[in-house]
Amino acid sequence: MKRSTQIGLAAAGVVLVATIWANSGDDTQQQESLVYNSLAECRAAGQLSATQCEQRFNEASANHLRDAKKFTSTSACETEYGAGSCRSAVWNGAAVVVPALAGIMLARSLSQGGGAAQPLLPPTQQACPPGSQAQECQQARSSSSSSSGSSGGYGGRGSSSSRAYSTTSGAALVARSGTVSGVSTTSTTSRGGFGSTSHSFSSSSSS
Amino acid sequence: MRRVTFPPRPDWQDQVERLGFAFHTIDGETYWDESAAYAFTLEQIERDIEAPTDAIEQLCFAFIEKAIGNDEILTRLAIPAAQWDFIRESWQRGDRNLYGRLDLAYDGKGPAKLLEYNADTPTGLFESSVVQWDWLEQAMARGALPPECDQFNSLHERLIAAFGNLREPSPYRLHLTCVQNSNEDKGTVDYLMDCAVQAGLDARFSFIEEIGLLSDGRFCDGANQPIETLFKLYPWEWLFRESYAKNLATSRCQFIEPPWKAILSNKGLLAFLWEMESGHPNLLPAFFEGDPRCASLSPRHVRKPLYSREGANITLLERGKVVDSDDGPYGAEGFILQDAAQNLFGSAGQYAVLGSWLVASQACGLCIREDASPITKNTSRFVPHYIEA
Repeated sequence: MKRSTQIGLAAAGVVLVATIWANSGDDTQQQESLVYNSLAECRAAGQLSATQCEQRFNEASANHLRDAKKFTSTSACETEYGAGSCRSAVWNGAAVVVPALAGIMLARSLSQGGGAAQPLLPPTQQACPPGSQAQECQQARSSSSSSSGSSGGYGGRGSSSSRAYSTTSGAALVARSGTVSGVSTTSTTSRGGFGSTSHSFSSSSSS
Repeated sequence: MRRVTFPPRPDWQDQVERLGFAFHTIDGETYWDESAAYAFTLEQIERDIEAPTDAIEQLCFAFIEKAIGNDEILTRLAIPAAQWDFIRESWQRGDRNLYGRLDLAYDGKGPAKLLEYNADTPTGLFESSVVQWDWLEQAMARGALPPECDQFNSLHERLIAAFGNLREPSPYRLHLTCVQNSNEDKGTVDYLMDCAVQAGLDARFSFIEEIGLLSDGRFCDGANQPIETLFKLYPWEWLFRESYAKNLATSRCQFIEPPWKAILSNKGLLAFLWEMESGHPNLLPAFFEGDPRCASLSPRHVRKPLYSREGANITLLERGKVVDSDDGPYGAEGFILQDAAQNLFGSAGQYAVLGSWLVASQACGLCIREDASPITKNTSRFVPHYIEA
């Protein structure tokens, strides 16, 4: 590849990511974004630098608490997101329960509403009912119960372990980590709400 | 190499403005032009553009070695004698350089020919590094181009890496400067400042008009902060002739581009390179005006002032008659004559000149500018390129 893999512009507040993983999938789905379940996985994949991974996860974590649906009790949260999928947090001084951060998604380019990393949440009970045998649901459940989510083996190919997520706006999403999402069970227009967050580089706007 | 027409994105202005690209239209004329693009094969890029660019850079280094010890050459280049030591020391100290752009004639066949080397103050950088990159990503995303296309353009990554390595220890404080009232220059410097920040540097901007001199001999910015490292999008030949010229050598400032770039950013370079390597496949015959060897030039040749920017004062001659020219303020320091390139890409009534980018002396990017005339001027249009899948 003879072009840059990613372009971040502090002044414009955008991050553009190249389609370097365009050939890593084995399907012909329109490839739209890049998903990582953990910081370690992002680093191991090598598509972004370690610093970039950290920045993306910091962005997503900050947005996660702001945007995730807040509950007053763990049971209320688990009713919606499933057992073991929630954690407590403090938001504006109040104790809340939120669905845990399950991963991050980077939009590929501005045409997909690119910009800051998008936090991903566990799938809702509606998308993955208890006892669902769907592979992406089992993957999501096992990841959240083992709470690390790190399953190794990230080079894209080989492991085709799709995993279900939901976005903070409630849309369901299925993606293979380290590769691409494309098999969304709802329309990708749900990503219209992504990306307007200014990128977290310190501002370098002129004089 | 092909010129391919494309329908521009319906919202292309919004798309490029979102990147912070403010000068896509200059004086009411389109500058960023995505109604066409140039397609190359990977072999054309690597064999005909990348490798010759690296080779010419090495040739230029050999010339600097020769020039810094040769008063006659420095005189012919019209570099003020008072600055010779300043230039020599910057080369001998190994001051690192950031970037440059070789302008090449190339039509997809045979070797590219060096038209000139914009070694000191090249612009067109942001649109090369970012805007055409995003254009390609979007074209692939919406299926206008196959997803396996590529582009000769790792400028963004290379610039960030280069900023981190220009000075030790790094990170360091970097000042950046350009003239007031030039959107294009300011846009270029804003982009470089963005890269510098991403390299971890403490980057600060001042207009060149704001720079002052401290009592200890150092330059300072508008807030009286001493300047230790200065990126200046402002030509050395002007700095050498302005009132602070005498303070340059004692300012203890590291300049980017370094003073030795003054030897390359000079059309006299073209005559000296040809003298060093007559017949080099990537060079055009060139001599100083008045040199009897000018008689050996082809009837169609170009007259260029030693110092000229954006095509100013360049004249294309055909058997002594002016075919094309551009007015401007340059020429007092003399001229060179250079054979007109036979391999300028022409299609659909447009001439294309390739700009081959170097960052830290490594070829790493390409831009194409198109003009209805064979002289590329500051009104030329920037047209994106891609490498075919």
